[in-house]
Amino acid sequence: MNHLAPLAVAVPIIAAGVLAATASVASRRLADIVAVLTAAASTTLCAILLAHSGHHQVVYWFGGWQPRSGIAVGIAFAVDPLGAGLATFAGLIVCVALVFSWRHLETISHVYHALMLVFLAGMVGFCLTGDLFNLFVFFELLSTAAYALVGYKIDQRAPLEGSLNFAITNSLGAIMVLFGISLLYGRTGALNMAQIGHSLAQQPADGLVVAAFTLLVAGFFIKAAVVPFHFWLADAYSVAPTPVCAVLSAVMSELGLYAVVRIWWSCFHGAFGDHEDALRAILVVAGTITALIPAVLCFAQTHLKRMLAYATVSYIGLFLIGVGLLTHDALGGTAVYLVADGFVKASLFVCVGIIQHRRASVDEYRLHGRGRDMPFTGAMFAIGGLALASLPPFGTFLGKSLVEDAAVKEGYGWVIVVFILASAITGAAVLRSAGRVFLGLGPEGESEPAFEVDEETETETGDDEGRRRTPFVMFLPVIALLAGGLAMGLIPRLPQAALRGAAALQDQAAYVAAVLHGAAGSVPHLPAPPPPTGLDYLYGALSSVGALVLAAAALFRERLPALVPRPVANGAGAAVRAVRELNSGRVGDYVAWIVAGVTVFGAAFSLTLL
Amino acid sequence: MSRRARLWLLAPALAGTMALVVWGFTGLADFGHFQGAYGNLLAKVAVPERKATDIVVSTTFDYRGFDTLGEEMILFTAVLGLVVLLRELRGEQEEEEEAHDDQEGHAGREHRTSDALRIFGFGMVGPTVVLGVYIVTHGTLTPGGGFQGGVVLATALLVVYLAGRYAAMRKVSPLPLLEAGEATGAMAYGLIGLGGLIIAGMYMKNFIDPGTKGSLLSGGFIPLLNIAVGLEVAGAFSLAFQEFLDQTILLRGDGGSE
Repeated sequence: MNHLAPLAVAVPIIAAGVLAATASVASRRLADIVAVLTAAASTTLCAILLAHSGHHQVVYWFGGWQPRSGIAVGIAFAVDPLGAGLATFAGLIVCVALVFSWRHLETISHVYHALMLVFLAGMVGFCLTGDLFNLFVFFELLSTAAYALVGYKIDQRAPLEGSLNFAITNSLGAIMVLFGISLLYGRTGALNMAQIGHSLAQQPADGLVVAAFTLLVAGFFIKAAVVPFHFWLADAYSVAPTPVCAVLSAVMSELGLYAVVRIWWSCFHGAFGDHEDALRAILVVAGTITALIPAVLCFAQTHLKRMLAYATVSYIGLFLIGVGLLTHDALGGTAVYLVADGFVKASLFVCVGIIQHRRASVDEYRLHGRGRDMPFTGAMFAIGGLALASLPPFGTFLGKSLVEDAAVKEGYGWVIVVFILASAITGAAVLRSAGRVFLGLGPEGESEPAFEVDEETETETGDDEGRRRTPFVMFLPVIALLAGGLAMGLIPRLPQAALRGAAALQDQAAYVAAVLHGAAGSVPHLPAPPPPTGLDYLYGALSSVGALVLAAAALFRERLPALVPRPVANGAGAAVRAVRELNSGRVGDYVAWIVAGVTVFGAAFSLTLL
Repeated sequence: MSRRARLWLLAPALAGTMALVVWGFTGLADFGHFQGAYGNLLAKVAVPERKATDIVVSTTFDYRGFDTLGEEMILFTAVLGLVVLLRELRGEQEEEEEAHDDQEGHAGREHRTSDALRIFGFGMVGPTVVLGVYIVTHGTLTPGGGFQGGVVLATALLVVYLAGRYAAMRKVSPLPLLEAGEATGAMAYGLIGLGGLIIAGMYMKNFIDPGTKGSLLSGGFIPLLNIAVGLEVAGAFSLAFQEFLDQTILLRGDGGSE
């Protein structure tokens, strides 16, 4: 049964090769079918692995090279529930994106399908591997596919620039990761994560370990888009084709955080474990900044895709707080939150794709009232906005409650305010656009010229008839994604399973025993977490109602009595504009911020972890 | 940010990052004193176990063969990305090609290529191909293998371009063929890995007898993997050369004005 692990990666890779090799003979429809079926097969394999890893760690040595007396000879997949769960989720989102692409995107030959399958293979391998260098290989593989997919609409200028900024900043991240790996190899002589962790724990940590940790964390934070490494994200996500946006926003950014979790618990926990409190404080502060500033920028946006891009960064901040608390209940809660939010954000992107298909614009002001005859899309978009604001019983509410309860236990009760603010503000941005586009609420306005977008579409329309109706294959993904977000909050034993998976990931001794010595380490038994309490529902209500109120206030600004004195309002507006202008689109600026971020994190780690 | 502001941000940050990296380097073993358990183990067991005299190749294609599958796919994906990002100009290219063919006939490249270069260049094509094939197939014995040999094979195409005409290069390497070759090479690596699962019960397991040390077919399936990679790399680089040449010669018209 373990053989499913390599197949989950090999099947999409081989299929991508077949699609590219037969590009000149096979038809577009055939490519669509092959791609969807392949992604579904890989997803199924990951789901079976997920079920198995719930009992014990699944370890697979490629080529049959078992470790010899504690030294890894080959490359292993070491599959635990959280990794397998994230891989399954990636597969699901890619399936949905491919179905949405059915009518979407004029593709050239089958390169689009091949790239999507390679992207999936990279993400799955990234989640399953137990080897640090192999992690880097899959990091590069999924990034390369993503660069090409972001720049796909080459007939416009913005996608090429977004893709270029994406490629330069993320390649910088890959170089940092590679440097970190080589430092660790120089110290431990190992590439297997369990072996590195075992070896690092034998001796006191020094500058080399801190430098390696900083470089690895910073490299993965670029992918995750933690402030100040985040600037590339809005440029890239706002120009990518919609199905690609859904995958990037729902899964790819989150993989950066998964990698940080993985290397901390598998490699560095033994070396730095005594200073856990310091790391917790650093990560929670970084998460708070990443959650709040982009949330405000999200609210200040009228370009719908750019708005959702900032919402993605804001949520990365919330997840960083969740994983940064460094306990199993916070990590398990974050896993639930991340998947539920991924479903919701993907559904919002797909709704924007439908609007773009029907109305050839993604600007809130230009679309003012032009969505009145699209009630279904409007309803789904608004529900998605409420789910983003963690309305019970969506999975976002459940995940947020679990993380908040865990934060209180660690003495970080104040982060609840951050969670409520970030989810209310991002939800409000979506609800405001929904009101303006689908109900025609609020005054008409002008979008700022700098942020106007080309009116071009990315879809196959055929004729005007195509614009009047939304094809069924476009609705289907929205319903499926929102149902997924809802299901994450309703599946009865899910929180318990997530917490057990988190505890398994954090048990370094059991990980080393399972990977290097073939022990059949069992996943610990934990009681189910208590269901959300009245207080949790109050927090959920606060963020959902807060989102509604904020959206209404933005729409009916003129009719409101001046609650805020004009100078204060003007000052706040100027501050938001100043922060927004930092996102200049110039990659040199972004690189400067990245280097500054490495220095700040490096200084914080060296001062506290030794 | 203004240029000045960016420098003010970058300079201290760069200094801090450099300090961190240098601090990390001071923790490395002194020159000649590195004792990595992994490397030492492979150095000891690789030749007896795999019969391949090039330990680098038996490491990258057998012990860590799965990494190489990923790396091969990175090149494959990068070239697919190139095809995507440069494709806009393909449509225009077909129209302009005819026009350029006429021009080239009169005032084009032929006049600017000296006889010496043409004779020497065409004479180089054969040896270049032979050398490339040699490096691909002898990866198990001497330094080399599919990646290195594949690049050498792709340069044969550039020699044709240098010695002759752009059109001649296009004739000997039609794009669909290169695309298919590249994809087949990438796919073949994954399929050979699958062969390990089916025949020997483990993905990427070497399912062919390693043979005797020093013979051409030693190393089990390693020569097969090298050929797959050689095909992929040769196709990928040829495709990349062509895409870039298409951009400069056909679309910007630089070919005629240089």
